[in-house]
Amino acid sequence: MTMKEYLLRYVGKQKHLILLSLVSVFVFLLANLSLPKLVGLSLDAIGSIVDGRFLLAIDFPLLTIYLSVGLVLAVLGVIFDFIFEYTIGIMTQRIVKEIRDDVFAKICAVPIKSIDERKHGDLLQLEIQDVENIANGLFSVFKQLVQGVLSILITIVLMFTVNWILALGIIVLSPLSLFVSKFVASFSHRHFKSQSALMSDLNALSLESISNLETLKALQYEERSHQDFCARDEKLREEGRIAQFSASWTNPTTRFVNNTIYCVIGIAGIVMILYTASYPILGMTMGNLTSFLSYTNEYTKPFNEISSVAAEFETAQFSFRRIVSFLNGQDDVDEGKESLNGPVEDIVFEDVTFSYEEGQHLIEHFSQEIKKGQKVAIVGPTGAGKTTLINLLMRFYDPVSGLIRFDGIDGRSVPKKDLRGNFGMVLQDTWIFSGTIMENVRYARPGSTDEEVIEACKEAHADNFIRTLPHGYETVVSAKSGLSEGERQLLTIARVMLAKPQVVILDEATSNVDTRTEKLITDAFDKVMEGKTSIVIAHRLSTIREADLILVLKDGNVIEKGNHTELMHRHGFYYDLYTSQFR
Amino acid sequence: MLEYFAMNYKVSTALKKNVWAYIVGPSFKIIEAVFDLLIPLFMKAVIDLSFTSDPNAIDPISKALGNFISLFGTWVPGNPSLSHALVGGFIILLMGIVGLATTMVCQYIAAVAATRTGTDLRDALYRKILSLDKKTVEKIGQGKCLTILNSDSYQVQQGVLFFIRLGIRAPFIILGSLVFSFVLDWHIGLVFLGIVPIILFIVFNVMRKASRQYLVIQSKLDHLSTQASDNLDGARVVRAFSTMDFEKGKFANSTADYQKEAIHVSKINALINPLTFAIVSLATILVVLIGGFDMSNGVSFLGATLQPSTIITLVSYLSQIFQTLVLLTNLVTIFTKSIVSWKRCDELFSLSPSVQERKDAKVLTIAKGEKLFDFQNVSLSYEEGANKALSDIDFSLGKGQTLGIIGGTGSGKTTLVRLFERLIDATEGEILYKGEDIRNYSLEALHREIALVPQKSVLFKGTIRSNMQMANPSATDSDIALALKCACASEFVDKYDDGYDHEVEEGGKNFSGGQRQRLCIARSLIRNPEVLILDDATSALDLLTDRTVRENIRSTLPDCTKILISQRVSTIKDSDLILVLEGGKIVAKGDHETLLRTCDVYLETYQSQMQKGE
Repeated sequence: MTMKEYLLRYVGKQKHLILLSLVSVFVFLLANLSLPKLVGLSLDAIGSIVDGRFLLAIDFPLLTIYLSVGLVLAVLGVIFDFIFEYTIGIMTQRIVKEIRDDVFAKICAVPIKSIDERKHGDLLQLEIQDVENIANGLFSVFKQLVQGVLSILITIVLMFTVNWILALGIIVLSPLSLFVSKFVASFSHRHFKSQSALMSDLNALSLESISNLETLKALQYEERSHQDFCARDEKLREEGRIAQFSASWTNPTTRFVNNTIYCVIGIAGIVMILYTASYPILGMTMGNLTSFLSYTNEYTKPFNEISSVAAEFETAQFSFRRIVSFLNGQDDVDEGKESLNGPVEDIVFEDVTFSYEEGQHLIEHFSQEIKKGQKVAIVGPTGAGKTTLINLLMRFYDPVSGLIRFDGIDGRSVPKKDLRGNFGMVLQDTWIFSGTIMENVRYARPGSTDEEVIEACKEAHADNFIRTLPHGYETVVSAKSGLSEGERQLLTIARVMLAKPQVVILDEATSNVDTRTEKLITDAFDKVMEGKTSIVIAHRLSTIREADLILVLKDGNVIEKGNHTELMHRHGFYYDLYTSQFR
Repeated sequence: MLEYFAMNYKVSTALKKNVWAYIVGPSFKIIEAVFDLLIPLFMKAVIDLSFTSDPNAIDPISKALGNFISLFGTWVPGNPSLSHALVGGFIILLMGIVGLATTMVCQYIAAVAATRTGTDLRDALYRKILSLDKKTVEKIGQGKCLTILNSDSYQVQQGVLFFIRLGIRAPFIILGSLVFSFVLDWHIGLVFLGIVPIILFIVFNVMRKASRQYLVIQSKLDHLSTQASDNLDGARVVRAFSTMDFEKGKFANSTADYQKEAIHVSKINALINPLTFAIVSLATILVVLIGGFDMSNGVSFLGATLQPSTIITLVSYLSQIFQTLVLLTNLVTIFTKSIVSWKRCDELFSLSPSVQERKDAKVLTIAKGEKLFDFQNVSLSYEEGANKALSDIDFSLGKGQTLGIIGGTGSGKTTLVRLFERLIDATEGEILYKGEDIRNYSLEALHREIALVPQKSVLFKGTIRSNMQMANPSATDSDIALALKCACASEFVDKYDDGYDHEVEEGGKNFSGGQRQRLCIARSLIRNPEVLILDDATSALDLLTDRTVRENIRSTLPDCTKILISQRVSTIKDSDLILVLEGGKIVAKGDHETLLRTCDVYLETYQSQMQKGE
């Protein structure tokens, strides 16, 4: 869908609110802008110019009527202005919610590849800041643009009802306001943009040094870092000076334009009053003059507001474009229709070739059968692509050629959900979301009872530490705080315990874990593997030696396979690896 | 280092530098403000001179202004009314132009002074933060430091800007308009006097409510952000458990929550305009009503009868008061924020680093084998009365030896590393470096000799070369090549087409954990240090690479004293001395063989890591 179509879809759903807001802004402006006319009429009810001289002749009943109408209009204006502003607030927030939910749903729907390829911060920006920008843009388009344009139109009409000659005069003068405010807005906008770029530059630099203060000190880099900071800060100052100065033109130039128009209209009005007696077509009275002097004010005000919207509108448009291009991205294909005949038992890799980037084959012509109950260990140095095999098994990625059969059925013809239900995995990067421990473990099988969750935690050796926490299973944890790395790992093992899958996929790497917890984790690993098919990125000797099959990976290729004894006899890469570790 | 930095720098130091601007700027601004107040009076004078039959009915102000207008001569002979109008218009136009010019001068002065203050403040704040130690920064919070540095300094800058621009002008216009309205018709003056506090009251109350509500919204937004970020980090797990719909539902609940609060705040905000409009409309109606009554009752002012021109003028003043009040409330918000920021900046300036350094540098050279580090009953607690992070640490290390430290999380390993580098001082006991109290060295000298590779590998935005040269600005490409090779980093760096100019993103995000660690090790080797500390710096490397790196270091820097901290026995087992730390205490020390015999914890760790390995 194009940007326009998306916009129509989101805005279209709010058409009732939009209609309401348009009606109320119209009533509000009409009421509000009629007031100067009434003031003028009242003044004429007080007295008039006769023979070039002012003559007092108060018509009290008429004055009372005018002022009462004025009062009623003021009250109407207040009520409808409130309705207007409140309605656009509601409308904006409804649209915002919908966009946000859509973006979130899209994040859930895209293939893992799209998430791996993009920076998380970037996607988060879409979800949070970009949507906020759109909210600001929508709100100001309605508030400033719609209200501004309407206000100018209504003022013109009302001015014509008062005196058409002066009304024409004001219209002739309006390019002046338009030109000045447009010039100021675009000029300052440009400099503000580059000012904020320099600011975020400075922000990034200081974030880097503050979070790595000790390294900076250890490298004796403080002085150089400060010089660097000052140099960039100096640039920011130069740009900031221009930005602040140009932005500060808005008010004075507006006042200048207003004063000029006020003066021209005022003087022209006075001259017209002087000559109305001789040329009745001029039709100018003291009251008309008063109305006009107010209208010049009302007329010029919106020009500035409209031009200030331009910047916000631009930002919102940019954000909306980003969001639309993300929403238009390809969804994860899941064309699988066949169902598995019960739990997966046999897994066969048939001539699988895979690459993340075209041309660079990570895995080439790999064939292997994994039977029910087998223990498979994957070993190899850092960066050998051990996780790639897991990505393929779980169908986070699909092979470029060849296929993986599950009980004889091509994995691609099975719905991903069914297939993945057979696996349980514990990865090195543990994932704990913000919520209670109970919620975090239950995640593996929504709907399981508290008792089942606790039982799973006991099996995973997590129960002990959970009980020592202040709120036990109801302790709130989050992605970044609350638990040690080892404790997180125990919780992810508990998840697998709860899900009771056919096949477990484990990454044994335990970094930053103290020795006691490490013991718990390894015990839990052993337990989770009991009686199940297991595929393990192995770091422990015991796992490796007990494995039915060891796959030795190097630079993405399986260079050796077999069990421990066979591989040792071969005196190949595995032999070197083994001896270097456990010499 | 950083000594020219005055210890007693404060926000006021930066502010004082621009005192001239606080006087000159507003003075120019006042000229425009005076004109703004005079323009309606000129208009009134022109009207009065044109339409008042009895010259005695013209009030003294209009008379005086009329005399002033007459100074410019008569432009239309034979028609004094028209002439007055044209000349008057010309004067008003002229005042507008002069007013614009003087205001521009003021705006420029304000921009110069404000940005200068902001920049001075930021430079000083950054310097201050760099002089602090990590613990102090952590106590304030990194996020807060960053906010003070970037946002609060900007807020102070905005305060200066708006003080010069509007601080004097806004009250002057409001007061001036009030005074003139009292002079013209004190009945109406009273009305004006009444609306000022009412509008202020409404605006401030609504704003206070709204800003409180904004805090709620911010926290809801933070919550959304956390959830979205959780979902991204757990993309694989979410898919593995096929819980996408569950996640969507959870998120939709949170967005609904956010929506509710956001609509609430827009309801509060929607009150401001209607209420203030109401007041102004009411006041306008009152002006006409009271003016009409006063005129019909023949109320006089300054000896002349009240004219309709007065009502026109008063309506002008009313709109001026109203517009300026809106500006004034914005101004007060800006000032309030600035003052809060000012205080926060000063709070940061008032901190002093916990490690005080001596300026008289010592450089000592000792022979291989002599005591390099000597810890004598060292204890440390981060806060007074708090639990000791380290207690009774007692050992010595000879030059050229290798020290291994092993222990779990929270055993005090990293605190001990801080002591080696004097990033912190011991609370009890003595640390001798080359036989001298470590506090007698300058930090610069210590950091030059001791290279640390921290647990969390840190790379900085730039290139590989710029990162390497951080440790030694004069390092040549061949120095870099040697260091990279030694750290087993050349195997991936050499693959880059752009070689050492290869980009390093913020925090080294574009490298894997293992690659980052190897680059950090290379960086520390490049300065050819006397002491090399590897604080769990090889945890992301596989055992084979880990061992190769250690062997390379041993052969390239044979005289270098090495301190290895790890949770892996295999990393430290070849050390000359191994300390086993637990709960901040040394539970055992000795070499590998001794410890296997004497220390149960060590043996247990070893066995769990090597299970059936030997």
